[in-house]
Amino acid sequence: MRLQSSRSTGMGLTGTGLQLGASSMFFNPGALSMMETKTDFSIGVSGIISKISFQKTGQNLVSETDNKLSTPFYVYGAGKIGEKWAVGLAIYTPYGSSAEWESGWEGRLLIQNIALQAIFFQPTVSYQITDKLGIGAGLVYTSGSVKLEKGLNYGQDTYVELDGSASSLGFNLGAFYSATEKLSIGINYRSKIMMDVSGGDAKFHVPVSVGTNIPTENKFSASLPLPGNLDFGVSYQATEKLLLAAEVNWVMWGVYETLEFTFEEKGELLNSKSPREYKDTFIPRIGAEYKLNDMFTFRAGAYYDQSPTNEIYFTPETVSLNNLAFTLGVGIHPTERLSIDLSYLQISGLGAEKNYQPDNFGGTYKSAAFIPGFGLSYRF
Amino acid sequence: MKYRILISALLLAGLWSCQPEINEFEPSKGNADFTTYMTAGNSLTAGYADNALYKSAQENSFSKMLAEQMEFVGRQGSFNIPYINTEDGVGTGGGMLFTKLKMGFTTDCLGVTSLGPVRANPNATQQELAVLLGTPVADQGPFHNIGVPGAKVTHLLAPGYGSMNPYYGRFASAPGNAVIDEIALVKPTFFTLWIGNNDVLSYALAGGAADQITPLEGIPGVGFAASLEAVLMTFKATATAGAIANIPNITDIPYFTTVPYNIIALSEQGMVDQLNAGYAPYNGAMQQFGLDYRINFALGANPLVIHDPTIQVPPGYEALQIRQIKAGELVLLSIPQDSIKCAYWGSLKPIPDAYILDEKEITDIDNAVTGYNQAIKAAAEKYELAYVDMNAVLKQGSSGGIVMDGVSFSNTFVTGNAFSTDGVHLTPQGNALAANTFIDAINKKYNASIPKVNVAQYNAVVLP
Repeated sequence: MRLQSSRSTGMGLTGTGLQLGASSMFFNPGALSMMETKTDFSIGVSGIISKISFQKTGQNLVSETDNKLSTPFYVYGAGKIGEKWAVGLAIYTPYGSSAEWESGWEGRLLIQNIALQAIFFQPTVSYQITDKLGIGAGLVYTSGSVKLEKGLNYGQDTYVELDGSASSLGFNLGAFYSATEKLSIGINYRSKIMMDVSGGDAKFHVPVSVGTNIPTENKFSASLPLPGNLDFGVSYQATEKLLLAAEVNWVMWGVYETLEFTFEEKGELLNSKSPREYKDTFIPRIGAEYKLNDMFTFRAGAYYDQSPTNEIYFTPETVSLNNLAFTLGVGIHPTERLSIDLSYLQISGLGAEKNYQPDNFGGTYKSAAFIPGFGLSYRF
Repeated sequence: MKYRILISALLLAGLWSCQPEINEFEPSKGNADFTTYMTAGNSLTAGYADNALYKSAQENSFSKMLAEQMEFVGRQGSFNIPYINTEDGVGTGGGMLFTKLKMGFTTDCLGVTSLGPVRANPNATQQELAVLLGTPVADQGPFHNIGVPGAKVTHLLAPGYGSMNPYYGRFASAPGNAVIDEIALVKPTFFTLWIGNNDVLSYALAGGAADQITPLEGIPGVGFAASLEAVLMTFKATATAGAIANIPNITDIPYFTTVPYNIIALSEQGMVDQLNAGYAPYNGAMQQFGLDYRINFALGANPLVIHDPTIQVPPGYEALQIRQIKAGELVLLSIPQDSIKCAYWGSLKPIPDAYILDEKEITDIDNAVTGYNQAIKAAAEKYELAYVDMNAVLKQGSSGGIVMDGVSFSNTFVTGNAFSTDGVHLTPQGNALAANTFIDAINKKYNASIPKVNVAQYNAVVLP
């Protein structure tokens, strides 16, 4: 989820080909050196209200998730040094998901609830090579956590709790080219980040007699890949008031082949390796911005995000469907320096019958997310 | 103005699709009428588990699950079950009554403590168990579940069977009734029947040493096929549709497959030599008699020495009617393990016949099961019933295993999830698997859509 600029969110989450000020540190560090003001501070937050419904194959009842409100945020500060250079720090949370299924639901042995969180710190430097071309790079330090609960088949109230954290490094490279007065082109690469959890806490809530085989307190390791992205975007100032943007994101989900858990004790019994077999996806996005007057700007956009999951390895732990999304936004500029951006993103996860073959668990999933967002930028 | 419109649009969009709706499955009765459902059979239908009849097991019977799922396709009214008023349960065997088995810790003759089936209440007296089992519940009837633990298909037709079998006696609506006489009191529109297991199991559970296999041919009350038809015809007096399940092979049931034939483990050459020296006279005698039987021990796993009364020895040499068990022969779960570990059963002393199914007994049982299942299939076709191939499901369970909603089923004792602590009857999860097998067959036969049950919501063997 790239909710890293409320303005971008309003425009279908485009941004690689846009000049977004300090937010460009995420979308395209190459554009940072070409920002219009000397200094830019931006903050923003979104509230993800998401729902998943599931109907098992051959069944009439529908299970639902009761997901906690997740609130990704961003904080950016950037400034120019001389004419050519710009530096800044970006703090943002691009990956975060949570799903809490009803207690005792049909898939309790696959997942009961899960919460993934990651916060990214990205010091960034950008250099303007010519009037038209800027490049930039950021070093990404990531700190994340995963927490999940999964039922065990020793009775309805038996389960395992896994709680771990990881930190890792990655990078973010971008180039921004203002081809003409009206046309800009951007390219951005954000590296894959392996979140290697080690020494995470594993608690097995099992009957006492099982405790001799399965220690109730254990440590686990796991690797969760956050995929790399290669984004290509353009923007076009169609009229004085109308800005159009389009882009495509290549999300390299192919790295997510298996989910492996390794346990410190009784590994021979507990270690697991489950296929995921994700595939890379391409997300096309379009967005538009209409400047009504000096005070108000209106935005809209849409995108289609194909599910990276494998047909036979689709698990309810991360219900990722083909998503069709529409966005709306409004920018309010009470002063020249201050802008307030409101955005709204609505995602419909298109209903589809999916299976996780190793557990013979399948049914129809459908999801929806409603994401209001708010951002503040102060530029001078 | 525009701002206000935008806000309203946002709110509307949010309210419009709050929880995504799915409606891929519409329950439907198809060509069957599920208004009044009734089920007959044996212990499996009754909900007998863990070697006893107890209330929560009755509540977790596949037939109660079916009754609940049939509510979505038009079943009306209550589904009466002749509940027994105990959670410790009452089981029978060898003329004794006992409480159910549950998993607990036992210490064997070698002082090794391990997890295994133990009686829920070893102190329960015969008298109090007899009272629990004998308490009549007929006034709570008529019952929709008339499964009777221990019943063979021939028993269902026997007038006054309640006086022979207290599990029927306790709920029989009249002392002289046959089980099938209960059917007319309910007037079912739909029925399920799963019977025949005891016609062969009673023989098999006794190690082939007692009871006998019901013959396939013969008049109703004697032969399997004609008795089965008599039961079906009674149901068909009111029911327009139903389902009948076949019976599993005993080699797919943990009671017969858990104890390996070569359980005698020898790690010292001295012990091997001692045993071989001890059996040298036996081997010599067999050679003299012109018989091929030889007993030999070696380091590692050795086949048990068993008693085999079919060995033809000269009169006076009956003590030599022993041999080592063959690889395909089966050792029953009921064998006292302590006797093997500490009293030299299977090595110095032969295992009594009642704990063993030998080659011939297995062949007789297999032939009977094959014959019964042919008769059941023919009857399903003749009476236009859904045919539930439970045998195939259990075979799958014992070959590769069955996975459903993350539950792995196999015929492994305790950890296989399907079978309860007695190794014969099903766990609640096993019952859910059976219920889904019935539902699949019924849906297919009658073009119906009965929703399935969730196996993960039921328990397997409960551990302490």
